[in-house]
Amino acid sequence: MTNDLRLSQFYPTRRRFLKTAAAAVSGLALSSCGWTLAQVRPKPPSNKKTGANKKLYIYTWSSYTDEDLLKSFTKETGIEVIVAVYDSNETMLAKIQIGGGADYSIIYPSDYMVRQMRDKGLLLELDQDRLIGLDNLLPQFQNPVYDPGNSYSVPLSWGTTGLIYNSKTLKQAPEDWDYLWEQQQVLSRRITLLDDVREVMGATLRMLGYSYNSQDPAQLEQAYKKLVSLKPTIASFSTDTWKEQILAGDLLVSMGYSADAVEVAKENPSLQYAIPRSGTSLWTDTMIIPASAPNRDAAYDWINFMLQPAVAAQVCERLNFATPNQVAIKQLPPKVSENLSLFPKESVLEKCERIIPLGKFNQVYDRYWTQLTSS
Amino acid sequence: MSQTAVQNPDAKGTDTVLDVELRKVFKVFNGETAVRGVDLEIHQGEFFSILGPSGCGKTTTLRLIAGFEMPSAGEVVIQGKSMTYVPPYRRPVNTVFQSYALFNHLTVWENIAFGLRIKGLPKAAIAERVKETLKLVKMEAFTNRFPTQLSGGQQQRVALARALVNRPAVLLLDEPLGALDLKLRKEMQVELTNLHQDLGLTFVMVTHDQEEALSLSDRISVMHEGKIEQIGTPSEIYECPQSAFVADFIGDTNLFGGRVFALDASEIQVVTETKMKMVVQKQSASMSLNPQEAVVVSVRPEKIQLNLEPSCVQGNCFEGRLKHVMYLGTHVHCVVELTSGDRITVKQPNTFASLPDPQTPVYAYWTPKDCLVLACRDTA
Amino acid sequence: MSTQISSPPTPPTPKSEPQASPTAGRWLGYLGLLGPAGIWLGLLLVLPTLVLFELSLVPGLEPGGLVNPSGLENYLRVFEPVNLLVMKRSLFFAGGTTVICLLLGFPVAYWIALLAPTKWRNLLLVGFVLPLWTSSLLRTYAWITILRYSGVLNTLLTSPNPWLSNLGLPTIPRLELLNDWPAVLIGMSYGYLPYMVLILYASLEKLDRRLLEAASDLGANPIQTFCQVTVPQTMPGIAAASLLVFITGLGDFVDPELLGGDSTMTISRLIYNQFLKTNQWGFGSALSMVLIMLVSIAIALLLKFGDRSAAS
Repeated sequence: MTNDLRLSQFYPTRRRFLKTAAAAVSGLALSSCGWTLAQVRPKPPSNKKTGANKKLYIYTWSSYTDEDLLKSFTKETGIEVIVAVYDSNETMLAKIQIGGGADYSIIYPSDYMVRQMRDKGLLLELDQDRLIGLDNLLPQFQNPVYDPGNSYSVPLSWGTTGLIYNSKTLKQAPEDWDYLWEQQQVLSRRITLLDDVREVMGATLRMLGYSYNSQDPAQLEQAYKKLVSLKPTIASFSTDTWKEQILAGDLLVSMGYSADAVEVAKENPSLQYAIPRSGTSLWTDTMIIPASAPNRDAAYDWINFMLQPAVAAQVCERLNFATPNQVAIKQLPPKVSENLSLFPKESVLEKCERIIPLGKFNQVYDRYWTQLTSS
Repeated sequence: MSQTAVQNPDAKGTDTVLDVELRKVFKVFNGETAVRGVDLEIHQGEFFSILGPSGCGKTTTLRLIAGFEMPSAGEVVIQGKSMTYVPPYRRPVNTVFQSYALFNHLTVWENIAFGLRIKGLPKAAIAERVKETLKLVKMEAFTNRFPTQLSGGQQQRVALARALVNRPAVLLLDEPLGALDLKLRKEMQVELTNLHQDLGLTFVMVTHDQEEALSLSDRISVMHEGKIEQIGTPSEIYECPQSAFVADFIGDTNLFGGRVFALDASEIQVVTETKMKMVVQKQSASMSLNPQEAVVVSVRPEKIQLNLEPSCVQGNCFEGRLKHVMYLGTHVHCVVELTSGDRITVKQPNTFASLPDPQTPVYAYWTPKDCLVLACRDTA
Repeated sequence: MSTQISSPPTPPTPKSEPQASPTAGRWLGYLGLLGPAGIWLGLLLVLPTLVLFELSLVPGLEPGGLVNPSGLENYLRVFEPVNLLVMKRSLFFAGGTTVICLLLGFPVAYWIALLAPTKWRNLLLVGFVLPLWTSSLLRTYAWITILRYSGVLNTLLTSPNPWLSNLGLPTIPRLELLNDWPAVLIGMSYGYLPYMVLILYASLEKLDRRLLEAASDLGANPIQTFCQVTVPQTMPGIAAASLLVFITGLGDFVDPELLGGDSTMTISRLIYNQFLKTNQWGFGSALSMVLIMLVSIAIALLLKFGDRSAAS
């Protein structure tokens, strides 16, 4: 008897499945003359996530949250936070573009990515009235070039890109990018560069006296050739894995972000951070709400929570990234606020540049990058 | 290495050259003794068979000669050279395997050329010898086939050719005809005999088929439980088995257990366990018997005559009753229950007008010359 | 006509449909057996491949872009020198791994299948397959720990060695294996060796040992027997195992990425980059199609030349 019951239950289900599958297949086939790939439509927030109002989904860099932070937010608001992580802006973008935007309420793109996502219509324009504490930010973060008036994003952290080196094993400390070329003998296969086309090409352009955002093919060609000559010295292109390797003593110099530099220096004080003399990139990581985000109320709650000076100061100290919140900076212990790796002098920052998206010209960078990493 | 001068195949005198000698050879596998002290002398040019039931150690003996097994004790001598621990690929012997073991990734031609190629013969010589051998086994038409495309008999010929083409001193055959049907087997038996006579090689064949052994061999050694029971010509083995096992194994026989009752110069009287008195003519195998010794009397079924009247001729005549009659074409096979309770089988030529009914009272008769008395020293 | 001749003697009926239809019905019935797997393959293999092919025909396709197949530009890009170099390197890694696995795996499989005591065989096999029970990523990280500049291997090599110094030999220099092609070959070979051994074992176990005896009997020494009998007899197994390792190696992403450092871009990494870093989905699809073609060619070669004895 029970068997019969189960059978009769099974058949309608299977038929329904087949019908759906057939519909899916024919839909694809019919529209294949000109269909768009993974079109992103702002889905009506699914009731699964909004109904309870208890869960906030965040998509972030791996080093940007910790348990304590999430706990204190839940304690304050009663909202549970679920975190997913990514390791590059491009990976994140790809995921959002194929429809992942409806899965997250908060994402942490870098400055240039904010612009790119905004241009693609992936971002929610923020309701400035619902944001509390924006005026606590340093003046240069009140109206950033990548997002005038912070209308789509709220800056969370900022920093520079530079060289992390082992001051014990290296006789001569790096001061500028050209150090890598001059010391090839010493550094042989014991350096890493960031796995990021704009940072690596930009640094080289900068060393040659050009802009991080150069759109001159001749300049790019020159930078590319320079990098090719450095290639035998490079162990790998890595954004994250270099940290563990330099701590183990496998590497002598790594190109990295200031936040990571501070992190490794905590573990091994002889690992020092140098901001190249000729200038480097200045980056800001931000918080945005995707246009298709569920549970927007919780997203605003999160942004406001992170804007609180006390929270910003704690995070800055614990997670090693510089906060743009000037009230928070004042609350930091001097050991942190005077750390030149985190908060460089104004004279140093003056030489730095922001990386800005170049639209179609990005493909030229990508070509050189493929050429460089593939040969 | 492969000179093998043709000898008179019938010459078995002591002056002939020995091709294979086994001296007190033992082989133990994981504590089980497969071969127990085998002594063998195989003469050059003879067709020698090792006969026995399965598990008697005959295949192991052959493998010891081929070199696939190393003896646990004893010595293997081939053409006068000790080869006890020489690997198979350095022995002047070749084997025709049971179910052939042909290389199925090679054609017939390549299979046969395998050994010659390994020896590094020039191509022309290989081609000539392979062709010659293909002709010998009548397989010229199948040169480019793969073994899987051949029938059993054809595979058998290829296996033979593959071994013979190397001109070995000794050809070893492991149950060569075992996988063939009866008709094909008879044909191949004739061909094997012809090949043996034409080539003059020493053939050593392992078989469990006594008929095959009797019809093909110059000499036979009968093995039982790892030991050689008897070595002799087919007629010696059949007519004068030297043990109850051989008598029983070679052909059919009726055995009666008993004791020696009286001895004289020409005859032995035996009383069976069922109190029958039998008279047996004295022969070489029964020379050393003592009075009261436990013995077995063996009578071949075809040596027994059945009569409806008691026979008055001097000899062994016992009353009984027909139990079964089996019609076998050329023969009639009868089972007779004697009054003593013994059951005997009798093979009569098919001369009956009509088959006798079961339960017919009959008299079984055989002369003292037609039976054997064997000591029960080894087989109890 | 020939089908009529070979069919069983039937009265010459012009309409043979009554005979044909039951057979056809049975045939369709058996086709039903393929149903679940067929749907599975159709939905998850054939359909996506077709979609991929369509994407590959859209030059400069980015996520969110309009899929409007219009040309072969993406394929032309595949044949730019740098991409050809990447493909050549991928073939080198896959091929090198196959050769190393074969050279290391065959003796092991041979030993387990033919020489090891029967009662130990299963245990030995399990032992060999045991590493597969851990995550492949973990195993790759283990290799990083071993091969790195300050790793286990270099520590062993460069630790003071009394024998070497007694002999007056210089100390061994550090090996820079990590972040270069040797590390990739080591990592990949290690990862695929169990598959190679398993398949070869299955093949060698079926090997008819009497054939080895026959070869020996015909005068072949062990090396000749191995080359002329064992290898040809187990060729289907060798081909299958090699193909499996080769194809898996061609698609390997983790080992080149983690062990190879900067100069070991492979086709699978390049495809990954097109989809997740530079957002060149059209070009990435074209690369994927080329990879599928390469694998198909490898399989076709196997089918054609792999198994001579079975073909006959």
